[in-house]
Amino acid sequence: MKRAVRSASTEATPNSSDGPRPRLIAVGGGKGGVGKTFLAANLAITLARAGYRVIAIDTDVEGPNLHTLVGVKNPARTLADFIAGRETNLLRLIVATPTENLGLIAATQGNLAGAAPEAQRRAELLAALRRLPCDFVIVDCGAGAHAATLDYFLVSDDGLIVVHPEPTSVENAYTFVRAAFYRRMQAALQKHDVRALVREAMDQRNARGIKTPLDLLREVEQMDPEEGQRFVETMRRFRPRVVVNEVATAEDVKLGFSISSVCRRFFGIDADYIGYLNRDAAVREAVKQRRSLLDIAPDGDAAVYLRRIARKLAEGVPLPSEEAAS
Amino acid sequence: MKPLSEQTHYEILELTPEASAEQVERAYRVARSTYAPDSLATYSVYEERDLTVIQERIELAYKVLSDDGQRRAYDEKLNAGPRVELALSFASDDEQSLEESPEIRGFEESVEDGLYDGARLRRLRMARGIELDRLSSATKISISYLNALEDERFDVLPATVYVRGFLTAYARAVGLDADRVVPAYMERVAKIRPNKPARPLLRRPR
Repeated sequence: MKRAVRSASTEATPNSSDGPRPRLIAVGGGKGGVGKTFLAANLAITLARAGYRVIAIDTDVEGPNLHTLVGVKNPARTLADFIAGRETNLLRLIVATPTENLGLIAATQGNLAGAAPEAQRRAELLAALRRLPCDFVIVDCGAGAHAATLDYFLVSDDGLIVVHPEPTSVENAYTFVRAAFYRRMQAALQKHDVRALVREAMDQRNARGIKTPLDLLREVEQMDPEEGQRFVETMRRFRPRVVVNEVATAEDVKLGFSISSVCRRFFGIDADYIGYLNRDAAVREAVKQRRSLLDIAPDGDAAVYLRRIARKLAEGVPLPSEEAAS
Repeated sequence: MKPLSEQTHYEILELTPEASAEQVERAYRVARSTYAPDSLATYSVYEERDLTVIQERIELAYKVLSDDGQRRAYDEKLNAGPRVELALSFASDDEQSLEESPEIRGFEESVEDGLYDGARLRRLRMARGIELDRLSSATKISISYLNALEDERFDVLPATVYVRGFLTAYARAVGLDADRVVPAYMERVAKIRPNKPARPLLRRPR
Protein backbone atom coordinates (compact mmCIF):
# COMPACT_ATOMS: atom_id res chain seq x y z
CA MET A 1 0.00 0.00 0.00
CA LYS A 2 2.90 2.29 0.70
CA ARG A 3 3.69 2.32 -2.92
CA ALA A 4 0.23 3.34 -3.98
CA VAL A 5 1.32 6.67 -5.37
CA ARG A 6 4.29 5.31 -7.17
CA SER A 7 2.69 2.31 -8.75
CA ALA A 8 -0.24 4.40 -9.87
CA SER A 9 2.13 6.93 -11.29
CA THR A 10 4.41 4.60 -13.20
CA GLU A 11 1.41 3.26 -15.03
CA ALA A 12 0.36 6.69 -16.16
CA THR A 13 2.09 8.43 -19.00
CA PRO A 14 3.73 11.73 -18.27
CA ASN A 15 1.88 13.41 -21.08
CA SER A 16 -1.57 12.40 -20.04
CA SER A 17 -3.22 15.78 -19.94
CA ASP A 18 -6.64 14.34 -19.26
CA GLY A 19 -8.20 14.31 -15.86
CA PRO A 20 -7.93 16.83 -13.08
CA ARG A 21 -4.63 18.52 -12.46
CA PRO A 22 -3.07 18.41 -9.03
CA ARG A 23 -3.12 21.47 -6.83
CA LEU A 24 0.36 22.87 -6.49
CA ILE A 25 1.31 24.27 -3.13
CA ALA A 26 4.67 25.96 -2.78
CA VAL A 27 6.22 26.59 0.60
CA GLY A 28 8.67 29.47 0.50
CA GLY A 29 9.35 32.73 2.20
CA GLY A 30 12.87 33.93 1.81
CA LYS A 31 14.56 33.29 5.12
CA GLY A 32 16.30 30.04 5.91
CA GLY A 33 15.42 28.19 9.08
CA VAL A 34 11.86 29.45 9.45
CA GLY A 35 10.38 25.98 9.11
CA LYS A 36 9.56 25.77 5.42
CA THR A 37 10.67 22.17 5.08
CA PHE A 38 8.98 21.17 8.32
CA LEU A 39 5.73 22.72 7.17
CA ALA A 40 6.01 21.21 3.68
CA ALA A 41 6.68 17.72 5.03
CA ASN A 42 3.97 17.80 7.66
CA LEU A 43 1.37 19.36 5.37
CA ALA A 44 2.11 16.63 2.85
CA ILE A 45 1.71 13.93 5.51
CA THR A 46 -1.47 15.54 6.88
CA LEU A 47 -3.08 15.72 3.45
CA ALA A 48 -1.99 12.18 2.60
CA ARG A 49 -3.46 10.85 5.83
CA ALA A 50 -6.69 12.64 5.08
CA GLY A 51 -6.88 10.46 2.00
CA TYR A 52 -5.44 12.68 -0.70
CA ARG A 53 -2.79 11.44 -3.09
CA VAL A 54 0.18 13.67 -2.45
CA ILE A 55 3.62 14.07 -3.97
CA ALA A 56 6.14 16.17 -2.08
CA ILE A 57 9.02 17.59 -4.05
CA ASP A 58 12.19 19.09 -2.70
CA THR A 59 13.52 21.86 -4.92
CA ASP A 60 15.99 23.09 -2.36
CA VAL A 61 18.99 21.79 -4.24
CA GLU A 62 21.45 23.60 -2.01
CA GLY A 63 20.20 22.15 1.24
CA PRO A 64 17.85 19.26 0.65
CA ASN A 65 16.12 17.99 3.79
CA LEU A 66 12.60 17.14 2.82
CA HIS A 67 13.33 13.42 2.41
CA THR A 68 14.49 13.23 6.02
CA LEU A 69 11.32 14.80 7.36
CA VAL A 70 9.02 12.55 5.36
CA GLY A 71 10.94 9.52 6.61
CA VAL A 72 13.12 8.60 3.64
CA LYS A 73 16.75 8.11 4.50
CA ASN A 74 18.61 7.74 1.25
CA PRO A 75 16.41 8.43 -1.74
CA ALA A 76 17.53 6.15 -4.56
CA ARG A 77 16.54 8.60 -7.24
CA THR A 78 16.55 12.37 -7.05
CA LEU A 79 15.74 15.48 -9.00
CA ALA A 80 19.41 15.62 -9.97
CA ASP A 81 18.71 12.86 -12.47
CA PHE A 82 16.09 15.01 -14.12
CA ILE A 83 18.21 18.15 -14.04
CA ALA A 84 21.19 16.34 -15.54
CA GLY A 85 18.94 14.90 -18.23
CA ARG A 86 19.57 11.30 -17.17
CA GLU A 87 15.87 10.87 -16.59
CA THR A 88 13.18 12.67 -18.54
CA ASN A 89 10.20 11.08 -16.89
CA LEU A 90 9.51 12.72 -13.56
CA LEU A 91 7.31 9.83 -12.53
CA ARG A 92 10.30 7.53 -12.33
CA LEU A 93 11.84 9.78 -9.71
CA ILE A 94 9.03 9.32 -7.24
CA VAL A 95 10.08 7.25 -4.26
CA ALA A 96 7.72 5.76 -1.71
CA THR A 97 7.54 7.13 1.82
CA PRO A 98 6.37 5.42 5.00
CA THR A 99 3.13 7.37 4.68
CA GLU A 100 0.48 5.81 2.55
CA ASN A 101 -0.54 8.01 -0.42
CA LEU A 102 2.59 10.11 -0.10
CA GLY A 103 5.32 9.97 -2.71
CA LEU A 104 8.54 11.96 -2.69
CA ILE A 105 10.72 13.50 -5.32
CA ALA A 106 13.90 14.20 -3.42
CA ALA A 107 16.38 16.93 -4.26
CA THR A 108 19.82 16.24 -5.48
CA GLN A 109 22.19 14.67 -3.02
CA GLY A 110 25.90 14.52 -3.09
CA ASN A 111 26.27 16.57 -6.23
CA LEU A 112 26.96 20.11 -5.18
CA ALA A 113 28.22 21.35 -8.50
CA GLY A 114 25.77 22.94 -10.86
CA ALA A 115 22.80 21.62 -8.99
CA ALA A 116 20.30 24.31 -9.95
CA PRO A 117 18.52 23.55 -13.20
CA GLU A 118 18.82 25.76 -16.25
CA ALA A 119 15.80 27.83 -17.18
CA GLN A 120 14.74 25.47 -19.96
CA ARG A 121 14.99 22.40 -17.76
CA ARG A 122 13.13 24.27 -15.04
CA ALA A 123 10.27 25.08 -17.39
CA GLU A 124 10.01 21.40 -18.29
CA LEU A 125 10.03 20.49 -14.63
CA LEU A 126 7.30 22.99 -13.82
CA ALA A 127 5.14 21.68 -16.63
CA ALA A 128 5.75 18.10 -15.53
CA LEU A 129 4.68 18.91 -11.96
CA ARG A 130 1.29 19.96 -13.27
CA ARG A 131 0.83 16.56 -14.86
CA LEU A 132 1.70 14.46 -11.84
CA PRO A 133 -1.07 11.97 -11.14
CA CYS A 134 -2.11 13.09 -7.68
CA ASP A 135 -4.31 15.57 -5.83
CA PHE A 136 -1.60 17.74 -4.30
CA VAL A 137 1.98 18.52 -5.16
CA ILE A 138 3.76 20.12 -2.24
CA VAL A 139 6.83 22.02 -3.36
CA ASP A 140 9.47 22.77 -0.76
CA CYS A 141 11.27 25.88 -2.01
CA GLY A 142 14.71 26.76 -0.84
CA ALA A 143 15.63 29.93 1.00
CA GLY A 144 16.35 33.15 -0.81
CA ALA A 145 14.66 34.77 -3.78
CA HIS A 146 16.56 33.24 -6.70
CA ALA A 147 14.87 33.00 -10.06
CA ALA A 148 14.39 29.24 -9.68
CA THR A 149 12.81 29.55 -6.24
CA LEU A 150 10.51 32.30 -7.44
CA ASP A 151 9.41 30.25 -10.43
CA TYR A 152 8.39 27.28 -8.30
CA PHE A 153 6.50 29.68 -6.11
CA LEU A 154 4.82 31.52 -8.96
CA VAL A 155 3.67 28.48 -10.86
CA SER A 156 1.83 27.18 -7.81
CA ASP A 157 -1.85 27.52 -7.03
CA ASP A 158 -1.04 28.43 -3.46
CA GLY A 159 2.22 30.02 -2.44
CA LEU A 160 2.80 29.91 1.29
CA ILE A 161 5.15 32.43 2.82
CA VAL A 162 6.51 31.18 6.10
CA VAL A 163 7.44 33.90 8.56
CA HIS A 164 9.00 33.83 12.01
CA PRO A 165 7.94 36.56 14.41
CA GLU A 166 11.28 38.34 14.15
CA PRO A 167 12.50 41.32 12.09
CA THR A 168 14.96 39.42 9.88
CA SER A 169 12.34 36.95 8.79
CA VAL A 170 9.68 39.60 8.17
CA GLU A 171 12.17 41.62 6.15
CA ASN A 172 13.10 38.62 3.99
CA ALA A 173 9.45 37.76 3.51
CA TYR A 174 8.75 41.19 2.08
CA THR A 175 11.82 40.96 -0.13
CA PHE A 176 10.52 37.64 -1.35
CA VAL A 177 6.99 38.97 -2.01
CA ARG A 178 8.40 41.92 -3.88
CA ALA A 179 10.75 39.78 -5.98
CA ALA A 180 8.04 37.23 -6.77
CA PHE A 181 5.63 39.96 -7.69
CA TYR A 182 8.01 41.68 -10.10
CA ARG A 183 8.98 38.41 -11.69
CA ARG A 184 5.37 37.54 -12.32
CA MET A 185 4.75 41.00 -13.70
CA GLN A 186 7.63 40.63 -16.12
CA ALA A 187 6.11 37.47 -17.44
CA ALA A 188 2.59 38.90 -17.69
CA LEU A 189 3.29 42.21 -19.38
CA GLN A 190 3.80 42.27 -23.08
CA LYS A 191 5.11 45.61 -24.28
CA HIS A 192 8.81 46.05 -24.38
CA ASP A 193 8.97 49.53 -22.85
CA VAL A 194 6.64 48.60 -19.99
CA ARG A 195 8.68 45.54 -19.17
CA ALA A 196 11.77 47.70 -19.17
CA LEU A 197 10.02 49.95 -16.67
CA VAL A 198 9.30 46.98 -14.42
CA ARG A 199 12.93 45.95 -14.63
CA GLU A 200 13.95 49.43 -13.63
CA ALA A 201 11.55 49.43 -10.69
CA MET A 202 13.07 46.21 -9.38
CA ASP A 203 16.03 48.27 -8.30
CA GLN A 204 14.83 49.80 -5.07
CA ARG A 205 16.91 52.91 -5.73
CA ASN A 206 15.59 53.57 -9.22
CA ALA A 207 15.73 57.11 -10.58
CA ARG A 208 11.96 57.38 -10.95
CA GLY A 209 11.43 56.93 -7.25
CA ILE A 210 9.19 53.89 -7.70
CA LYS A 211 9.11 52.27 -4.31
CA THR A 212 6.14 49.96 -4.40
CA PRO A 213 4.10 47.98 -6.89
CA LEU A 214 1.43 50.64 -6.44
CA ASP A 215 3.84 53.37 -7.54
CA LEU A 216 4.79 51.20 -10.49
CA LEU A 217 1.16 50.65 -11.41
CA ARG A 218 0.60 54.39 -11.67
CA GLU A 219 3.61 54.73 -13.99
CA VAL A 220 2.49 51.81 -16.12
CA GLU A 221 -1.04 53.18 -16.40
CA GLN A 222 0.35 56.47 -17.62
CA MET A 223 2.59 54.81 -20.12
CA ASP A 224 0.08 52.33 -21.49
CA PRO A 225 -3.48 51.94 -20.16
CA GLU A 226 -3.86 48.50 -21.71
CA GLU A 227 -0.79 47.21 -19.92
CA GLY A 228 -2.07 48.95 -16.82
CA GLN A 229 -5.15 46.78 -17.02
CA ARG A 230 -3.00 43.69 -17.38
CA PHE A 231 -0.97 44.84 -14.41
CA VAL A 232 -4.08 45.12 -12.24
CA GLU A 233 -5.29 41.71 -13.38
CA THR A 234 -1.94 40.10 -12.58
CA MET A 235 -1.83 41.88 -9.25
CA ARG A 236 -5.25 40.56 -8.38
CA ARG A 237 -4.28 37.02 -9.18
CA PHE A 238 -1.05 37.13 -7.22
CA ARG A 239 -2.19 35.97 -3.82
CA PRO A 240 0.50 34.58 -1.59
CA ARG A 241 -0.65 33.26 1.76
CA VAL A 242 1.05 33.95 5.04
CA VAL A 243 1.92 31.38 7.71
CA VAL A 244 3.46 32.57 10.96
CA ASN A 245 5.59 29.85 12.46
CA GLU A 246 6.68 29.47 16.08
CA VAL A 247 4.17 31.86 17.61
CA ALA A 248 4.62 32.09 21.36
CA THR A 249 2.21 34.88 22.24
CA ALA A 250 -1.11 36.28 21.08
CA GLU A 251 0.91 39.21 19.75
CA ASP A 252 2.78 36.81 17.46
CA VAL A 253 -0.55 35.45 16.24
CA LYS A 254 -1.62 38.95 15.26
CA LEU A 255 1.54 39.50 13.24
CA GLY A 256 -0.02 37.63 10.34
CA PHE A 257 -2.91 40.08 10.14
CA SER A 258 -0.51 42.96 10.28
CA ILE A 259 1.63 41.51 7.48
CA SER A 260 -1.55 41.06 5.44
CA SER A 261 -2.45 44.68 6.04
CA VAL A 262 1.01 45.93 5.09
CA CYS A 263 1.02 43.79 1.94
CA ARG A 264 -2.26 45.34 0.92
CA ARG A 265 -1.44 48.91 1.85
CA PHE A 266 2.21 49.04 0.81
CA PHE A 267 2.38 46.57 -2.05
CA GLY A 268 -1.27 46.44 -3.13
CA ILE A 269 -1.01 42.66 -2.82
CA ASP A 270 -3.60 40.49 -1.18
CA ALA A 271 -1.79 38.10 1.08
CA ASP A 272 -4.26 36.09 3.11
CA TYR A 273 -3.25 34.98 6.54
CA ILE A 274 -3.87 31.26 6.36
CA GLY A 275 -2.64 30.15 9.76
CA TYR A 276 0.09 29.78 12.31
CA LEU A 277 2.02 27.15 14.18
CA ASN A 278 3.08 27.58 17.77
CA ARG A 279 6.48 27.14 19.27
CA ASP A 280 6.11 23.61 20.49
CA ALA A 281 8.42 21.04 21.98
CA ALA A 282 6.63 18.44 19.86
CA VAL A 283 7.89 20.14 16.71
CA ARG A 284 11.50 19.88 17.82
CA GLU A 285 10.93 16.31 18.86
CA ALA A 286 9.38 15.43 15.51
CA VAL A 287 12.37 16.84 13.65
CA LYS A 288 14.80 15.10 15.98
CA GLN A 289 13.11 11.75 15.60
CA ARG A 290 12.50 12.31 11.89
CA ARG A 291 8.85 11.54 12.39
CA SER A 292 5.67 13.36 11.63
CA LEU A 293 4.24 15.84 14.09
CA LEU A 294 0.99 13.90 13.86
CA ASP A 295 2.79 10.88 15.33
CA ILE A 296 4.61 12.73 18.07
CA ALA A 297 1.71 14.77 19.44
CA PRO A 298 -1.47 14.15 17.45
CA ASP A 299 -3.64 16.24 19.76
CA GLY A 300 -1.13 18.93 20.61
CA ASP A 301 -1.57 22.53 19.65
CA ALA A 302 0.90 22.33 16.76
CA ALA A 303 -0.97 19.41 15.22
CA VAL A 304 -4.27 21.26 15.62
CA TYR A 305 -2.81 24.31 13.88
CA LEU A 306 -1.25 22.19 11.16
CA ARG A 307 -4.52 20.44 10.40
CA ARG A 308 -6.24 23.80 10.27
CA ILE A 309 -3.88 25.02 7.54
CA ALA A 310 -4.20 21.74 5.66
CA ARG A 311 -7.99 21.99 5.81
CA LYS A 312 -7.91 25.45 4.32
CA LEU A 313 -5.63 24.36 1.52
CA ALA A 314 -7.85 21.39 0.76
CA GLU A 315 -11.01 23.45 0.58
CA GLY A 316 -12.87 22.51 -2.56
CA VAL A 317 -10.54 19.65 -3.46
CA PRO A 318 -12.52 16.41 -3.48
CA LEU A 319 -10.96 13.31 -1.97
CA PRO A 320 -10.27 10.53 -4.44
CA SER A 321 -12.81 8.40 -2.55
CA GLU A 322 -15.46 11.09 -2.97
CA GLU A 323 -14.65 11.37 -6.63
CA ALA A 324 -15.00 7.64 -7.09
CA ALA A 325 -18.36 7.71 -5.34
CA SER A 326 -19.81 10.49 -7.43
CA MET B 1 -5.46 50.88 -3.84
CA LYS B 2 -5.82 54.64 -3.73
CA PRO B 3 -3.19 56.87 -2.22
CA LEU B 4 -3.62 57.38 1.49
CA SER B 5 -4.79 60.97 1.09
CA GLU B 6 -7.77 59.89 -0.99
CA GLN B 7 -8.89 57.03 1.24
CA THR B 8 -11.99 57.28 3.39
CA HIS B 9 -11.88 56.67 7.11
CA TYR B 10 -13.39 53.26 6.47
CA GLU B 11 -10.72 52.41 3.96
CA ILE B 12 -8.01 53.54 6.35
CA LEU B 13 -9.26 51.08 8.97
CA GLU B 14 -9.94 48.41 6.32
CA LEU B 15 -13.64 48.41 7.14
CA THR B 16 -16.83 48.61 5.16
CA PRO B 17 -19.28 51.46 5.89
CA GLU B 18 -21.61 48.94 7.54
CA ALA B 19 -19.09 48.10 10.28
CA SER B 20 -20.46 47.92 13.80
CA ALA B 21 -19.03 49.95 16.66
CA GLU B 22 -17.30 46.82 17.93
CA GLN B 23 -15.75 46.15 14.54
CA VAL B 24 -14.48 49.72 14.45
CA GLU B 25 -12.86 49.16 17.85
CA ARG B 26 -11.19 45.94 16.77
CA ALA B 27 -10.02 47.28 13.43
CA TYR B 28 -8.58 50.29 15.18
CA ARG B 29 -6.66 48.12 17.62
CA VAL B 30 -5.22 46.02 14.82
CA ALA B 31 -4.35 49.04 12.68
CA ARG B 32 -2.77 50.87 15.58
CA SER B 33 -0.50 48.00 16.49
CA THR B 34 0.31 47.21 12.85
CA TYR B 35 1.53 50.74 12.14
CA ALA B 36 3.03 51.46 15.56
CA PRO B 37 6.64 52.75 15.48
CA ASP B 38 8.05 49.49 16.82
CA SER B 39 5.82 47.21 14.79
CA LEU B 40 7.40 44.05 13.44
CA ALA B 41 5.07 44.01 10.46
CA THR B 42 6.21 47.34 9.04
CA TYR B 43 9.87 46.69 9.64
CA SER B 44 11.93 47.19 6.49
CA VAL B 45 9.10 48.54 4.31
CA TYR B 46 7.96 51.83 5.80
CA GLU B 47 10.03 54.88 6.59
CA GLU B 48 9.27 56.48 9.91
CA ARG B 49 7.68 59.56 8.35
CA ASP B 50 5.36 57.39 6.24
CA LEU B 51 4.29 55.60 9.39
CA THR B 52 3.59 58.88 11.14
CA VAL B 53 1.25 59.88 8.32
CA ILE B 54 -0.56 56.55 8.46
CA GLN B 55 -0.85 56.69 12.24
CA GLU B 56 -2.35 60.18 12.06
CA ARG B 57 -4.90 58.98 9.54
CA ILE B 58 -5.73 55.95 11.70
CA GLU B 59 -6.26 58.13 14.77
CA LEU B 60 -8.43 60.58 12.82
CA ALA B 61 -10.46 57.76 11.27
CA TYR B 62 -11.03 56.24 14.69
CA LYS B 63 -11.93 59.57 16.25
CA VAL B 64 -14.66 60.11 13.67
CA LEU B 65 -15.95 56.55 13.34
CA SER B 66 -16.06 55.81 17.06
CA ASP B 67 -18.28 58.81 17.73
CA ASP B 68 -21.91 58.31 16.71
CA GLY B 69 -22.60 61.94 15.91
CA GLN B 70 -19.37 62.50 13.99
CA ARG B 71 -19.78 59.23 12.14
CA ARG B 72 -23.32 60.08 11.04
CA ALA B 73 -22.24 63.46 9.74
CA TYR B 74 -19.28 61.84 7.96
CA ASP B 75 -21.51 59.18 6.39
CA GLU B 76 -23.86 61.86 5.09
CA LYS B 77 -20.98 63.72 3.55
CA LEU B 78 -19.69 60.49 1.97
CA ASN B 79 -23.09 59.59 0.57
CA ALA B 80 -23.60 63.09 -0.82
CA GLY B 81 -20.35 62.98 -2.75
CA PRO B 82 -19.65 60.95 -5.86
CA ARG B 83 -19.91 57.23 -5.18
CA VAL B 84 -16.48 56.15 -4.01
CA GLU B 85 -15.09 52.89 -5.11
CA LEU B 86 -13.89 50.78 -2.22
CA ALA B 87 -10.20 51.45 -1.82
CA LEU B 88 -9.45 47.84 -1.21
CA SER B 89 -10.34 46.92 -4.71
CA PHE B 90 -7.77 44.17 -4.70
CA ALA B 91 -9.41 42.76 -1.63
CA SER B 92 -12.95 43.27 -2.72
CA ASP B 93 -13.50 39.68 -3.70
CA ASP B 94 -12.07 38.53 -0.42
CA GLU B 95 -15.00 37.73 1.79
CA GLN B 96 -12.71 37.57 4.78
CA SER B 97 -11.95 41.26 4.84
CA LEU B 98 -10.91 42.72 8.11
CA GLU B 99 -14.32 43.96 9.11
CA GLU B 100 -15.26 40.56 10.42
CA SER B 101 -13.72 40.08 13.86
CA PRO B 102 -10.18 40.87 12.81
CA GLU B 103 -8.57 38.75 15.45
CA ILE B 104 -10.48 35.59 14.91
CA ARG B 105 -11.53 35.42 11.29
CA GLY B 106 -10.64 32.09 9.87
CA PHE B 107 -9.00 30.80 13.03
CA GLU B 108 -12.10 29.97 14.96
CA GLU B 109 -12.19 26.35 15.89
CA SER B 110 -15.30 24.41 15.31
CA VAL B 111 -17.26 24.71 18.54
CA GLU B 112 -19.61 21.91 17.62
CA ASP B 113 -17.94 19.16 19.58
CA GLY B 114 -18.42 20.88 22.92
CA LEU B 115 -14.99 19.87 24.17
CA TYR B 116 -13.43 22.67 26.16
CA ASP B 117 -10.16 21.58 27.65
CA GLY B 118 -7.35 23.83 28.79
CA ALA B 119 -5.41 23.59 25.53
CA ARG B 120 -8.52 24.56 23.59
CA LEU B 121 -9.12 27.57 25.80
CA ARG B 122 -5.55 28.68 25.23
CA ARG B 123 -5.89 28.26 21.47
CA LEU B 124 -9.12 30.24 21.43
CA ARG B 125 -7.56 33.00 23.52
CA MET B 126 -4.52 33.16 21.23
CA ALA B 127 -6.70 33.21 18.14
CA ARG B 128 -8.46 36.24 19.56
CA GLY B 129 -5.16 37.97 20.13
CA ILE B 130 -5.58 38.23 23.88
CA GLU B 131 -2.44 38.05 26.00
CA LEU B 132 -2.54 36.57 29.47
CA ASP B 133 -1.72 39.87 31.16
CA ARG B 134 -4.63 41.58 29.44
CA LEU B 135 -6.90 38.72 30.39
CA SER B 136 -5.62 38.86 33.94
CA SER B 137 -6.43 42.53 34.34
CA ALA B 138 -9.84 42.07 32.70
CA THR B 139 -10.81 39.14 34.93
CA LYS B 140 -8.83 39.97 38.09
CA ILE B 141 -7.54 36.40 38.05
CA SER B 142 -3.82 35.97 38.59
CA ILE B 143 -1.72 34.90 35.64
CA SER B 144 -0.62 31.79 37.52
CA TYR B 145 -4.24 30.67 37.93
CA LEU B 146 -4.95 31.44 34.28
CA ASN B 147 -1.94 29.35 33.36
CA ALA B 148 -3.14 26.55 35.62
CA LEU B 149 -6.56 26.64 33.92
CA GLU B 150 -5.00 26.36 30.48
CA ASP B 151 -2.47 23.75 31.52
CA GLU B 152 -5.11 21.85 33.49
CA ARG B 153 -2.96 21.75 36.59
CA PHE B 154 -5.97 21.08 38.76
CA ASP B 155 -3.85 20.54 41.86
CA VAL B 156 -2.86 24.19 42.01
CA LEU B 157 -6.34 25.51 41.34
CA PRO B 158 -8.47 26.51 44.34
CA ALA B 159 -11.79 24.99 45.35
CA THR B 160 -14.25 23.98 42.69
CA VAL B 161 -16.56 26.89 43.32
CA TYR B 162 -13.73 29.31 42.56
CA VAL B 163 -12.69 27.42 39.46
CA ARG B 164 -16.23 27.78 38.21
CA GLY B 165 -16.06 31.52 38.81
CA PHE B 166 -12.68 31.77 37.07
CA LEU B 167 -14.00 29.93 34.06
CA THR B 168 -17.06 32.11 33.75
CA ALA B 169 -14.91 35.22 33.85
CA TYR B 170 -12.39 33.70 31.43
CA ALA B 171 -15.08 32.72 28.94
CA ARG B 172 -16.74 36.13 29.03
CA ALA B 173 -13.49 38.02 28.62
CA VAL B 174 -12.39 35.88 25.69
CA GLY B 175 -15.84 36.11 24.12
CA LEU B 176 -16.91 32.49 24.56
CA ASP B 177 -20.25 31.11 25.62
CA ALA B 178 -19.81 30.53 29.37
CA ASP B 179 -22.85 28.24 29.46
CA ARG B 180 -20.98 25.82 27.23
CA VAL B 181 -17.44 26.32 28.42
CA VAL B 182 -18.04 26.02 32.15
CA PRO B 183 -19.94 22.68 32.30
CA ALA B 184 -17.62 21.07 29.74
CA TYR B 185 -14.49 22.11 31.58
CA MET B 186 -15.91 21.35 35.03
CA GLU B 187 -16.64 17.84 33.91
CA ARG B 188 -12.92 17.40 33.31
CA VAL B 189 -12.11 18.86 36.70
CA ALA B 190 -14.60 16.54 38.40
CA LYS B 191 -13.07 13.49 36.75
CA ILE B 192 -9.58 14.21 37.90
CA ARG B 193 -10.28 16.01 41.13
CA PRO B 194 -13.69 15.06 42.51
CA ASN B 195 -15.25 17.68 44.76
CA LYS B 196 -12.40 19.66 46.13
CA PRO B 197 -14.17 21.40 49.00
CA ALA B 198 -14.11 25.10 49.63
CA ARG B 199 -12.32 24.47 52.91
CA PRO B 200 -9.83 21.66 53.04
CA LEU B 201 -11.47 19.86 55.94
CA LEU B 202 -12.86 16.70 54.53
CA ARG B 203 -10.57 14.01 53.29
CA ARG B 204 -11.24 12.57 49.91
CA PRO B 205 -12.94 9.18 50.43
CA ARG B 206 -10.69 6.31 49.59
